[in-house]
Amino acid sequence: MELIGLYPTWYEPGVGSGWVVAIIATIHVLASHTSVGAALFFTYLSTKAYREDRPELLDYVKKYGLFLLVFAYVLGSITGPGIWYSTTVASPRGISALIHTFVWKWATEWVFFVIEVVGVYMIVYLVGKVDKRTHMIISWVFGLASYTTMLIILGILSFMMWPGQEEFFQTGGYLNGFYGENTFAHLAMRTAFMFTMTAVVGGIVAAGIKDAAFKKEMARKLAILGIVSTLVGLAFYPWYLGTIPETAKLVMENRLPGYFGPALVGVMGAILAYFIATLIQPRILVTGLAGTMAVLILVFGLWPEETARESIRKPYVAGQYVYSNQVIARDVPGMGVKSEIPLLEKHGMLKTMPLLPDNLREVSETNQVHAGEAVALTMCSNCHSLSNSGIRPLKNYIGTTDVALIETYLKGALATGNTLYMPRIPLQDDEAGALAEYLAVLSEGGPAAVAEAKAQEREKQRQLAQSGDKLVFAADSEQEVK
Amino acid sequence: METEMMTYALRDPAGVPTHPIVFFIVGIATWALHIAAVAIMLGGATLAILGSYKNDTNWHRLAHAMVDVSKIAVSVAIVIGVAPLLTTQVIYDPFWYTSNVLSAWWVIAFVGILIVGYWFMYFFYFRNYSGEKTEKPKSTWSLIVSVALLLFVGWIMHVLSVQTLYPEQWQEWYAPNGQLDTSGTGMHAYNFWRYAFFISLAAPVIGAWLVAYRRYFMAREDSDQAYLDWAGNLGLKLMNVGGVVTVLLGVAWMLTLPEKTAGFATSIWAFMALAALLGFAAIGIMTRSRMDSWGYVPMIAATVAGIVIALSREMLRYVTLNGVHGYNFMDYTINMDWYSTIMFFATFIIVGGLVLGYLLTVAWKAGQTKGVYVPSGGVQTLGKLAVWSIAIWILQYFVAGFWVLAQ
Repeated sequence: MELIGLYPTWYEPGVGSGWVVAIIATIHVLASHTSVGAALFFTYLSTKAYREDRPELLDYVKKYGLFLLVFAYVLGSITGPGIWYSTTVASPRGISALIHTFVWKWATEWVFFVIEVVGVYMIVYLVGKVDKRTHMIISWVFGLASYTTMLIILGILSFMMWPGQEEFFQTGGYLNGFYGENTFAHLAMRTAFMFTMTAVVGGIVAAGIKDAAFKKEMARKLAILGIVSTLVGLAFYPWYLGTIPETAKLVMENRLPGYFGPALVGVMGAILAYFIATLIQPRILVTGLAGTMAVLILVFGLWPEETARESIRKPYVAGQYVYSNQVIARDVPGMGVKSEIPLLEKHGMLKTMPLLPDNLREVSETNQVHAGEAVALTMCSNCHSLSNSGIRPLKNYIGTTDVALIETYLKGALATGNTLYMPRIPLQDDEAGALAEYLAVLSEGGPAAVAEAKAQEREKQRQLAQSGDKLVFAADSEQEVK
Repeated sequence: METEMMTYALRDPAGVPTHPIVFFIVGIATWALHIAAVAIMLGGATLAILGSYKNDTNWHRLAHAMVDVSKIAVSVAIVIGVAPLLTTQVIYDPFWYTSNVLSAWWVIAFVGILIVGYWFMYFFYFRNYSGEKTEKPKSTWSLIVSVALLLFVGWIMHVLSVQTLYPEQWQEWYAPNGQLDTSGTGMHAYNFWRYAFFISLAAPVIGAWLVAYRRYFMAREDSDQAYLDWAGNLGLKLMNVGGVVTVLLGVAWMLTLPEKTAGFATSIWAFMALAALLGFAAIGIMTRSRMDSWGYVPMIAATVAGIVIALSREMLRYVTLNGVHGYNFMDYTINMDWYSTIMFFATFIIVGGLVLGYLLTVAWKAGQTKGVYVPSGGVQTLGKLAVWSIAIWILQYFVAGFWVLAQ
């Protein structure tokens, strides 16, 4: 029988695999955006240091650079591949689709990463060891190369939401996938907010400057950078919103948590207030305040933004053809990709998924909850926790313990793809029955009840096996007597 | 279920944008560089630890120098390591992804442990940042913790790699006794000798590095020749002793290959790796009498040996997955994408060549100069070309984008 390319599932009951990805991604965004923005800021400062013969600016570059090396570069360079690692285990086919479409783009970005890593060490360690002009040229190389990494990843992020051109589906091709209306709007907004992060983190270093006049100058520079970039970023936000697909807007309106909007407004307001205050009164810039603002951005700015971006592309996880549950949902003739929905409709998941044990391929009275759980793990757990905690616990969405009612929903709305935000999940009758049974148990008593029901099933299987052994033994004895 | 059928089902239907052999070759070349950086990172940090416990100013100086080297080597190992990670995902996606999912918690732990391990190294660095470079280093415990954690993340990578070679056991690992285990907490397969072999490369490679270190700093007018000679001789010793240990561990690895691939131990690929290691060790012996003129030769030999070892390692994977399990990466569907293929190679050769050529020339010269280094006219021109090459790259990015949007 033909198989569907579904990988085994990693299920993390505490917070859910989706949030593990989100935590790593959020840290990465803070570190990488700060680094890229700082690289360009260094270019500005290094140029100024050369033209105006101001070595103290290079001292600040060195201090900020060293701070970045320890925090942003360690975190950014490790959480970057870390996003690959976490998506590999949480959503292998999602990352695979991106890798196989954009491998050379990532490889190109890698060339700039190598330049960036060599560049940051040179920016930091060659202050005072090369002439100012050379340091300026190095900082230009470093700044431009850093920004190039942003240019590249932006196109891939935009593709995750929606391939740039509709033509991508018909003809494939990197250019059609990479460039779309959303690409440049997204780039403009991120570039602006990137400088906001640079200004906030730069404040941590500026706070430690001993020379009062120089501290005042740097605090004001950072404040102006922060105010301008925040306002420009906010001005680009409507443009960005105007380029996201209609379905994404619908999801935004209906599914994003209530705190999303107020959190973003609140954090932007707080950041602006902070920059205005440090502009007017630079001496209030102390390490603790700047550090607190960085954490504020991370927790109340980047976290909601990253999780929202993840949410609004649902039910897809990549390129509008790979569902969040890893099933390929539509044909992409340009890439030779075929939808797996017809195969699921014909045979179901249990018979077509590689690596599923044989005892779960057929649903019977003695494995209903086990089989239902296998279906839920594969088809649901990427977005819904099967425990009491974590991301959107499935238990909270069922609302009934009536198996027949649940089965009706599964066959009527889920299998036909008529639920906003959810993938279409064709189920065979026995699979729908098993999943309904499992969901009813989960709804009634949570994971503990599921564990108990599974133990009962195993006991039934054991008894059945024993009685089977007795029958075989009896048949063998009869044969011997004969 | 047959592993061939299963692994082909898991293969990404989107195909690859260039002939798969290109990814195979890029993977080998970049993995060789990655493992060289890993060897320098581990070797440098280990020497720094040893130096911290000796009562000898030469050792103290070396410890300070080596933690600097090791700190940068971690960054290089990470950034270079991204490339083979990418190519592996492209041509061996079913194997890499399944192996990762089956040990998912360790994959996530890898990220956290590496961060903490790197920070411990920085902690050691900053504890000894401002003191005299001949003083006995402080807080050596932090560097020991760092190395231990780095060795552990190496072990995680080792397990993930070895698990890819046993697709026939995946089902049992995922569903032992028919019960699904989705926790991802297991480490299912390893070969201690294979791991020890790759780790042991640290000794001869850092030895070669020390020989080059001696040669490099000899050019400085304020260099301390006695210290440099001591470091160079230590490097030669490490090349010799480390070379022998590495060969023995490599033989042990080959002798403990599973039955299904035991024949690989006597294949041309295994002997090529052995020859490369012996050749590397021989270069170490030959360098003894000509350290001044051959100062950089051992590092070149180490690089060549690394590429041969990387090739042999890949061939073991190919022989296992194609020869035993019927999965041939060479028959991956090709959806040729000329634009992105040409763009990568053009960027790699032109931009990478100009920029890294400039940066490394400046770094090299600055390190050998007492006081402030002022580049010559030629190097300055190279710098301008480097800046312009990136600026033109950025320009083409927007031109291509606007052209696509205008269509």
